[in-house]
Amino acid sequence: MSIEVKDLSFRYGKIVALDGVSMSLGQGAVGLLGPNGAGKSTLLRILLGFLVPDRGQGRVLGYDIRREQALIRRSVGYMPESDCFIAGMDAVTFTAYFGELSGMPRQEAMKRAHEVLFYVGLGESRYRLLDTYSAGMKQRLKLAQALVHDPRLLFLDEPTSNLDPTGRMEVLELIRDISSNKSVQVLLSSHILDDIEALCESVVILKLGRVAAEGRMADLRALDFALYELRVKGEAGAFRQDLEGLGARVNETEDGLIKVYLPEAGDRMDIFRAAARTGVQVRAFVRSRTSLEDLFAGVVGAD
Amino acid sequence: MATVREKGYSHWEGRLEERRFPWWPITRTGILLAFRKKRFKFLFAGAFFPAIVALVGLYVSERLDDFKAFVQGSDRLIDIGPKYFASYFLSDWLVFMILLVLAYGAGGLIADDLKHSSLQLYFSRPLGKKDYLVGKMAVIAFFVLIFTAVPGLVLVVFKLIFAGSFEFFLLYPWLPLSILGYAALLTAFFGFYVLLLSALSKNSRYVFVLTFGTYTFSSVLYGILNGIFRAPSMALFSIPANLQQAKALLFGLKPPHDVPAAWSLAVLAGICALSAVVLGRKTRSVEVIK
Repeated sequence: MSIEVKDLSFRYGKIVALDGVSMSLGQGAVGLLGPNGAGKSTLLRILLGFLVPDRGQGRVLGYDIRREQALIRRSVGYMPESDCFIAGMDAVTFTAYFGELSGMPRQEAMKRAHEVLFYVGLGESRYRLLDTYSAGMKQRLKLAQALVHDPRLLFLDEPTSNLDPTGRMEVLELIRDISSNKSVQVLLSSHILDDIEALCESVVILKLGRVAAEGRMADLRALDFALYELRVKGEAGAFRQDLEGLGARVNETEDGLIKVYLPEAGDRMDIFRAAARTGVQVRAFVRSRTSLEDLFAGVVGAD
Repeated sequence: MATVREKGYSHWEGRLEERRFPWWPITRTGILLAFRKKRFKFLFAGAFFPAIVALVGLYVSERLDDFKAFVQGSDRLIDIGPKYFASYFLSDWLVFMILLVLAYGAGGLIADDLKHSSLQLYFSRPLGKKDYLVGKMAVIAFFVLIFTAVPGLVLVVFKLIFAGSFEFFLLYPWLPLSILGYAALLTAFFGFYVLLLSALSKNSRYVFVLTFGTYTFSSVLYGILNGIFRAPSMALFSIPANLQQAKALLFGLKPPHDVPAAWSLAVLAGICALSAVVLGRKTRSVEVIK
């Protein structure tokens, strides 16, 4: 296991950020998902040793998060969420500087800085002052400094924030390339479901500092419920209530599409029986593939 | 902008080293960044002006015969002794230039990192808070030592060269130690002083103003309090006065203020200790409240 934590808890004063988080993350890209304030960034910071947990223990790449922080940071690349750079530096000096601080020899760090800057698409602007970089370029630069020392594990905190759609796709492509072809494990923290869905094989969903769901994406999608999308004619309120009485969760979109999350044990014929009972006509009925959004809505309770 | 993946990702074949001095890249980069600032090189060169004047004074005093025309009724043009060296160290121009160089070149050492949120990048490396602060402080040490210890020792060497004998050294064998001791004291004090102020603001311009303002205000405060209470101990409120007291102690001179020099040392040590505590709290990898 690359990351293993048990009963991790942390408070900012009176605010509980993490409450008894336990998980084991294996190979490949793992998504860390949750609404704002769920504890994603706090968890990353604890794994890096920025914060000391109030309770619990954990290991990253086999190193203890309380005692072997230097060894963890040597093997991990971290791309923070917020913009961060050093004024007055150009990209190649900046990237080489952090490579050197990671323990690379100076000449090697400089050589490697050129390579990773080309890789993230900043090759031609690598001698430009960082003060003149756009938000998207700074985002790529953060990825470059995280990669410069060739980490075994990458922590990416909201890597596609501040990016335009094209830039976002390019960065996602980079992350996919790194995680799938280059044997670098990735822990991707994001609240953008599409990013996680596009990249990650498994996901951990945090809610109010606790693990709400964890596992392989495919397993989680199939595990708890079946999703049906339908359109009805008639009074939908009573129909919805009837379905909810059967243990299903029902959402209705603005254009009248009704999504029914039926428990795994449920029978799809129950939907038609409920329609018959409440006097509505089912005009369209489709078995839909559950998305991460559905899973997220299911476990976090958001629509 | 260039397209993504102009070159594919490749693994680095080397091995990460555990450095003996992990703070050294921070120091080297801090010094280089200071020299990249506009007009900094002029300031840096200007700070050597007192050393050049002192060197000329040494030369003139030892080559008296060549400068007889300037001397009227005295067999010595300049009296070269510990006081001469001590006066170099606390000449108004030198202190002003050191403050200027530090405020301009080193004021942003921590302030810029706070402003651009780069502390988290430092601490995501195998660096401790101590390494970070030592690296930053070594930048200040470089500038203070290059304007104090280096010229001080060079002046002693030139004094011996111009005199053509070791008589001066035999007369004051402790002088190089005094020079080193006072340079170390200035380094420690200005190191903590400038880093403290740098950590108190995210704006290096404010730090610039604070560096000069605090130094000058302490003297003004001393003047006001001394005017009210007429007590020599009020000199303890003044940073320049405390540095003068410490200088007098280290160079074996009479203290300029009627206060034990040890008290001044204690005040300076107190400022350093307070700075260390504040620096420890301000330099964190995580900003808890934004």
